[in-house]
Amino acid sequence: MFWQQMVNGITLGSTYSLIALGYTLIFGVLNIVNMAHGEIFMFGAFVGLMIAVHANVGLAGALLAAMATGAVLGYLMEVLALRPLRRRKVSELAPLISTIGVSIFLESLALRLFGAEAQSFPPVSSTQVFDLAGVKISMVQIIILAISCGLMLVLRFWLEKTKLGKSIRATSENIETANLLGIDTKKIIVLTVMLASALGGGAGVLVGLAFNAIEPTMGITMGFKGLAVLILGGLGNITGAMVGGLLLGVAEIFSVAYGVSSYRDAVAFGMIILLLFLRPEGLFGSKEQQGGR
Amino acid sequence: MEFLLNPYYLQMAMFIIINAILGLSMYLTMSTGQLSLGAAGFMSIGAYVSALLTMKAGLPLYLAVPIGGAAACLLAAVIGLPTTRLRGIYLAIATLGFGEVVRVVILNLKVTNGALGLSGIPSMSIMMSKAFIAMGLGDGLGPLSVRQLGNLSVIVILALLLVGLILFSVRLNNSRLGRAFAAIKADEYAAEVSGIDTRYYKLLAFFMGAFVAGIAGGLAAHITFFIGPKDFAYHRAVEILLFAVLGGSDTVWGPLVGSFILTLLPEALRFATEYRSMIYGAILVLMMAFRPQGLISEETIRYWRTKLLAKKAVQQEEISGGTN
Amino acid sequence: MKQGMMKKLTAGLMAVSMAVMIGGCGGTDKAPAKSSGAAKMGVISYLTGAGAAYGESIRQGLELARDEINAKGKVKIELVFEDSKGEKNEAINAANKLIHKDNVLAIMGPTLSSEMFAIGPMVNQEGVPIMGTSLTVEGITEIGDYVFRNSLPESAAIPQSIKRAKAKYNLKKVAIMYSDNNDLAVSGYKTIQQTLKEEGIEVLGVETFADKNTDFSAQLTKIATLKPDAVMVAGLYQEAALILKKARELGINVPVVGNNGFNSPQLIKSAGAAADGAVVASPWFPGKDDPKVKKFIADYKAKYNKEPDQFAAQAYDALQIMAIALEKSGSNTDRKKLREQLAAVKDYDGVTGKFAFDAKRNPAMDVNVLVVKDGKFTELK
Repeated sequence: MFWQQMVNGITLGSTYSLIALGYTLIFGVLNIVNMAHGEIFMFGAFVGLMIAVHANVGLAGALLAAMATGAVLGYLMEVLALRPLRRRKVSELAPLISTIGVSIFLESLALRLFGAEAQSFPPVSSTQVFDLAGVKISMVQIIILAISCGLMLVLRFWLEKTKLGKSIRATSENIETANLLGIDTKKIIVLTVMLASALGGGAGVLVGLAFNAIEPTMGITMGFKGLAVLILGGLGNITGAMVGGLLLGVAEIFSVAYGVSSYRDAVAFGMIILLLFLRPEGLFGSKEQQGGR
Repeated sequence: MEFLLNPYYLQMAMFIIINAILGLSMYLTMSTGQLSLGAAGFMSIGAYVSALLTMKAGLPLYLAVPIGGAAACLLAAVIGLPTTRLRGIYLAIATLGFGEVVRVVILNLKVTNGALGLSGIPSMSIMMSKAFIAMGLGDGLGPLSVRQLGNLSVIVILALLLVGLILFSVRLNNSRLGRAFAAIKADEYAAEVSGIDTRYYKLLAFFMGAFVAGIAGGLAAHITFFIGPKDFAYHRAVEILLFAVLGGSDTVWGPLVGSFILTLLPEALRFATEYRSMIYGAILVLMMAFRPQGLISEETIRYWRTKLLAKKAVQQEEISGGTN
Repeated sequence: MKQGMMKKLTAGLMAVSMAVMIGGCGGTDKAPAKSSGAAKMGVISYLTGAGAAYGESIRQGLELARDEINAKGKVKIELVFEDSKGEKNEAINAANKLIHKDNVLAIMGPTLSSEMFAIGPMVNQEGVPIMGTSLTVEGITEIGDYVFRNSLPESAAIPQSIKRAKAKYNLKKVAIMYSDNNDLAVSGYKTIQQTLKEEGIEVLGVETFADKNTDFSAQLTKIATLKPDAVMVAGLYQEAALILKKARELGINVPVVGNNGFNSPQLIKSAGAAADGAVVASPWFPGKDDPKVKKFIADYKAKYNKEPDQFAAQAYDALQIMAIALEKSGSNTDRKKLREQLAAVKDYDGVTGKFAFDAKRNPAMDVNVLVVKDGKFTELK
């Protein structure tokens, strides 16, 4: 049972990592916790589902459509809810509140557009289950694990090696300096938000596939987990998001497997509160980043 | 006038006052520039503790409700001690998480009856009605029935409590404590450098907010017959946040105005219920973009004050001119 | 300055409360308004928010019944809908509005038990008959004499399905899963535990989940190692469908006995082949060979272009029951008479079967134990 639970935990954890990546990218560059990320994720899942059901384009098409949706929503959010705040000096809490507004808006919009009932992807070839010495792994689990690990590696590489990635990192270090260095920080910010939201949208499809239920409130549930991972791993830290997500997934599963299942939903935030006592900068965060700006 | 006595409006008045108290709790914490999303969590503790005390231990309300507030305060210490060391966002997320943990614990405890919630909580207005009957007013007083007397007296009690809290907050503003709060809100670093023990004051503000939220929870439990864990979930926390954001958290009046508007608005918008949440979301975004200080800021109050004073002066002149 | 303002404010508040105090004249216990010969029925339903699907079904069931009743013409019914958003405070406001502003004769709903616990005492005190169409937890009608329900409580349904399943599948040891943040599921769980004890079935383990959870792998992996003869599940259909799917994937191919939440065509729709072997007890059985049921399904489909679920069926029957009592009471305004006639309703033959209120205003009706077979609810014999 241990290994089966480990597989369960890693699958769950990789979905958490995927979501936390989006949070952490935006925080790294803008110093903003984007509370609407969960809802963008949910919208991505719905659009992916619609495309998969009505356009018959397969998983890749659904994934692309979801990412495009995420990017568009991210762009709109940047222009309508974040940019106006940057123009004037406001408290660091203003963007937090503003994105909470976006999240509430998107959630109720999704309720109107898609209805409250949970929907699921049409059965694909991925319902296949492999049996490895008693440990059952489904094709979906493998796909999700592969895609999320792949995405994380690509993202790391891209941020480290490419010119655009370097500009993003420079902007996240210090906006003024990046500006002086001739980086169009405005463009970089828009790009980062779009990229993070596209990741969120894509994650929506993968999670929708993994757990077979897409409904408007899934954004809040998953968004909370992403937030927890963000703090666990350290704000703005990509490795932290990856490892933190896996850790949380495994911790939740093991709390059910060897503990009491009814306390499962308290594990994430219980871990945070504990961590804030011991190591407030997060598992991978550096001391300087402590407490935002 | 009769419509004012309609229980529909009386009940709404009770909700308005409770929400105004919650708005004040938001204000107290935010007056040091801290954003806490834990108001719903603290409220739930106040509600459960005082409901259980009256139901199981038979404690009178005037003891049970403050004990509920104190319990909320106690738990605020658990979360406040580590998080007030950090800035802004940590507190917001930690308090959000705190609310979730509280909800899960309430779901699991036997004494709280889990997801089934507590039903049959003694209602304040029925208690008051009984008191009136005991006083020999069973047939009502003049045109008022006993039930209306009960409702009205609850409203008067709640209103008195609210006025007391407002007075306290206004006084606070003019005290040493209030000035320290304001300094921390304006610039925490500068405040620290100029010798203010920022952590102490931030904790204090956090505790006061939790206490007031706990009181509001206790009162809410005793006017609605029933509480369940779902009443205090994330959406409730956001709703309470909205009071302070819409009204403004710079002055005491802001959250009061915010809670007043936001309690009446849904009733006025009953025909547009499907869009209500969307409107809420849009309000949050628009307020942050165009008026982050909220509807009521210090300038607003100054503006109206000078305007009113000017008007008064003009009136007085007219009167004196008339007699000449 | 500040003190000046304070004085103004307190003075204002005093003035308002004085006005409120003095202003009350005239009778306040108004009788329900007469309006064009139709009896005004308030409906409190969960129409927007996460549970809107339930509220919508209820609304449709009620509207269908209203149109039929009004077409027959013996009594006329007007429905006034209020949304509760599934929140208790909203439900309280809605009930107050219906009683004191709209002056309705009676209230149908609310959708959730928690809402009923919040408004029931007040509505009962006002002497307004109220009938829940979807409330299945314990203790609803104990609120007061004016509180009714036509939905079968879990305590009456679950024992039937467990007994039938025990006889059929020879159950000796089972595992239980329930949603611990859902009042309906927790209430169902308690009934399951008690019935299992009475039937002498061993409980191997109890696992919980929460509404809106999507990952059940940990709980089911644990249950799979226990090798139970059946799994008892209490929850809503959305989670139930996911549990069925995951259970089959992990090789748990035993029968799954569910609570009221299983009783939805959506369960089969979203679980697909994995739903086979799901057992539920319900008064509503769409496959019943009864012209009334068939006509209801056809009418509903024609009007709303979807299959009715139990919520629609129960709401439909509830209004029909209301109409019978209304006709007998002979008044569109007398709440007390309506209550007496409601309590006396028996031998009503509705789409959910033969119906009567028992002494405690709960339904006394027959239960069908259903099992999903090849993607369809069929009777478990």
